[in-house]
Amino acid sequence: MNIVVAMKQVPDLQQVRIKNREPVIEGVPFTLGIIDKNALEAGVQLKEAAGSNLIVVSAGNEEVEETIKEALAAGADEAYLVLDDKLDGMESSLTASLLAATIQKIDDVGLVLFGEGSGDNYSGQVGSRVAEILGLPQVGYVSKIELDGTVARITRSLEDCEELLEVQLPVVVTVMGGINEPRIPSVSQILKAGRKPKEILDLDDLDIEIAEDKKISTLSNLAPETDRKRVAVKSVTELITVLQAEGFVGR
Amino acid sequence: MEFTLTKEQALIQKMARDYAEQNIAPIAEQIEKENQVPDEILKGLAELDLFGMAMPEAYGGADAGYESYVLAMEQIARVSSGPAVAISAHSLGLSAISSFGTEEQKQKYMPKSCRGEYITSFAFTEPGTGSDPKQITSTAVREGDHYIINGTKRFITNANYPGPIVTFVKDSESGRPTAFIIDKFCEGYSISEPWEKVGWHGGVLCDVYLQNVKIPVENVLGELGNGYPVLQYGIAFGKIGMNSVALGTTLAAFEESVKYAKEKTHRGEPIAKFQAIQLKIADIAMKYEVSRWMAYRLGSLANKPKSPGDFAKEAALSKVVIAENAVAAARIAMDIHGSYGLMADYKVARIYRDAIMGPQVEGVIDMQKLIVAGAILA
Amino acid sequence: MAGILIYSEKSKLALELLTAARLIAKGTGLNIKILCINSDKQAEEMVAQGAETYHIKEQNLNLADTAAVASALQQAAGKLDASIVILSSNRRGKELSGRLAQKLDAGCLSDVTSLQVKDGKVQCARNALGGATIATQQIETDMQVIALAPRSFEPAGLQDSGSLKEMAIEIESSLIKVLESRSKAGDAADIEAADILVVVGQGMEQGDMVLAESIARALGGEIACSKPVATDKKWLPEDRIVGLSGKKCKPQLAIILGISGQVQFNVGIRDANTIIAINNDENAYILQMADYAMVADLKEVLPELNKALGY
Repeated sequence: MNIVVAMKQVPDLQQVRIKNREPVIEGVPFTLGIIDKNALEAGVQLKEAAGSNLIVVSAGNEEVEETIKEALAAGADEAYLVLDDKLDGMESSLTASLLAATIQKIDDVGLVLFGEGSGDNYSGQVGSRVAEILGLPQVGYVSKIELDGTVARITRSLEDCEELLEVQLPVVVTVMGGINEPRIPSVSQILKAGRKPKEILDLDDLDIEIAEDKKISTLSNLAPETDRKRVAVKSVTELITVLQAEGFVGR
Repeated sequence: MEFTLTKEQALIQKMARDYAEQNIAPIAEQIEKENQVPDEILKGLAELDLFGMAMPEAYGGADAGYESYVLAMEQIARVSSGPAVAISAHSLGLSAISSFGTEEQKQKYMPKSCRGEYITSFAFTEPGTGSDPKQITSTAVREGDHYIINGTKRFITNANYPGPIVTFVKDSESGRPTAFIIDKFCEGYSISEPWEKVGWHGGVLCDVYLQNVKIPVENVLGELGNGYPVLQYGIAFGKIGMNSVALGTTLAAFEESVKYAKEKTHRGEPIAKFQAIQLKIADIAMKYEVSRWMAYRLGSLANKPKSPGDFAKEAALSKVVIAENAVAAARIAMDIHGSYGLMADYKVARIYRDAIMGPQVEGVIDMQKLIVAGAILA
Repeated sequence: MAGILIYSEKSKLALELLTAARLIAKGTGLNIKILCINSDKQAEEMVAQGAETYHIKEQNLNLADTAAVASALQQAAGKLDASIVILSSNRRGKELSGRLAQKLDAGCLSDVTSLQVKDGKVQCARNALGGATIATQQIETDMQVIALAPRSFEPAGLQDSGSLKEMAIEIESSLIKVLESRSKAGDAADIEAADILVVVGQGMEQGDMVLAESIARALGGEIACSKPVATDKKWLPEDRIVGLSGKKCKPQLAIILGISGQVQFNVGIRDANTIIAINNDENAYILQMADYAMVADLKEVLPELNKALGY
């Protein structure tokens, strides 16, 4: 059985600076989404327990080929990558189409893992969209996964309760950040990452057209105007008004 | 000339930074107080292959090259000098075995050392000697197919861990210094309590007492009576690690200063807004840039040294600059912190104590300058 | 006439969606329809708020099966001719939004914190780049799925003219079986995870700790403290320390009581979304890093605040 982990290349957010309220992304190195690394670790643990093959899939600009070494170092066995510089900044629906088409090229997929959200956009849609395209059941916000033959026992962690589910494989799962602590790869694993098999696909291979019109348009993307409002509050009555206005009481 | 890291090097740097942040930073103060790196940290670092990073794969190493070793060690030392000092001293002894050892010696000692099961030491200094090999008083006397070794070695890093110790003594046949590999904690091997040092806590230094230590003749490292090249080479290679430790300290001084300058306020403004502070930040940044490229370059040279003499010169030259930059950077960081910098609550106090170790150990600054001048004027 | 369809499995959140939907309806002229699944109680509540309510009663429809719920919503949107579907961005809602959007070939925005209608388009604000920026975005497709961050809108108030209809839909057999569902027990204090923190310092008196704790409870938050309060005074355990030598917290709201704002404290709380600081020293630095600063004596303020919050 193949376990697939979908990962997204994102700018290293710790290195994004704000200049005149605009985020400066240029020159910021790429890394993999932080919760994607939890998904990868979940995949590695399941692979080690079940003896299956772990494949990382990703779509993005040409740099992804380098960025994905981090996943190969941390335990993925091979990579399927859709590379095209046109894919820079693509929206979730396109990412989902590309990933789903890529996953369809892989045989005997039992489990597809995602992080609950990407580090940069955090829309949390891609896993759900891929599940729909592939026509598979899905479980989001997962804190535990156990594989048992043709089913998986999965714990979904909602705000107020936990659901223990039994799902027929194959299934698409998005994991929570807290599901595990991703391992740190060793020097040897890092050096061997570049030698693991990679399947590089381009848009023609997948038979996917990039629609001219975007589904989402971004009108502005700015840092909040001032860090702190520094409003003087004179009385408890005023303080209560503030708490109400900010939505902390009186709802 | 390409002054950029490969993806692999960037990942190795990140790996070491992540490990140090996640596992060492939370106990850095404990290491500082106890002067001891917990075993699980040494084990963790060994699992990341940091104990045999630049060693050949055939002997259990990761074969990652010395520049990667510098990148990783810098990130460890940035968080805590102790573990980095231990690995540096270990790598010094290990590289001597790798360069001068027989096939049997390499098979016997290297794989376990690369896995961190052995932590290696390198013993030259004695209570009565400085950097002059002629002054060695420890002796090896041959008895059949063994040598009997007696003497005392001073300030030996990692003397408290099991593993090989590359030891320089005068052998009775040649009357000249010879390197021997001794198994620590063999019969006749004992150590003092650890020295209490100003800085580098966790990098454990003890005196080593050798009393009628009996070792087989095949434990001579290199040629009998010809210990000097082993020493020169070893000390030069040791600088790669020492540079990394000082570099990590410099980086920590820089980062702590920037952080503090942005957080600490004076009359309602962060002190970073004041030019007096800005100039200091620039000074530290410049020192760090100089140090890091010199340290990375020495690592790169170490992968293929032109000649032992040339490498010794390059090593000495970089050590002076990098060790002194660490001291200067820590001093400036202190100034930025003002009186808070003297308090144990702030990391800069530890950075300062770590920084001033560098110029004094494994060959003092003046000795390094003489090596540089000697190579130029020869 | 095309409409707005709203759905959340939680009544409280559904009412927030209703507020947002009314805002959109005002700007677009669309009418609002609300969907309930297998909950008579929620359906009644929605009717009482004046909503045009549709109730799917299908015991075989499994809320844990996102694909099935998305299919139900797709069918409902089709039957009701809805072009905008509004969900809550709680975990269930967010998971659902992507699946539904894919079914409807719709653009989808989640975690939306505010919205406005301009030229007939719904402009949505949401955090981007890990919260470093706020992006304003709009969906360009005919069908739109918008998931609203909980607590971003007031719950809707009562209105007349509510109605209730049952709706039948097709259901496929589910590949997901719920083995167990258990409520989360009240966790031990985790000040890093708390949305609201009341943080106390040495400027407060021990006798007022009860009041501070009561205020934290009233707001659904946790109590935390500066280092000396735990290490020197021992009023609270050390796992509640905020700062350099404690925890670094990013709550939605931090109410900081009697803390001057030393740098070693500030690093632990400066990422709070909203900071309210109360201090009797008008020169205390903490007042400068607050969104709302109050210079006052805690001995007077705390009882009054506690009372105003209903205790």
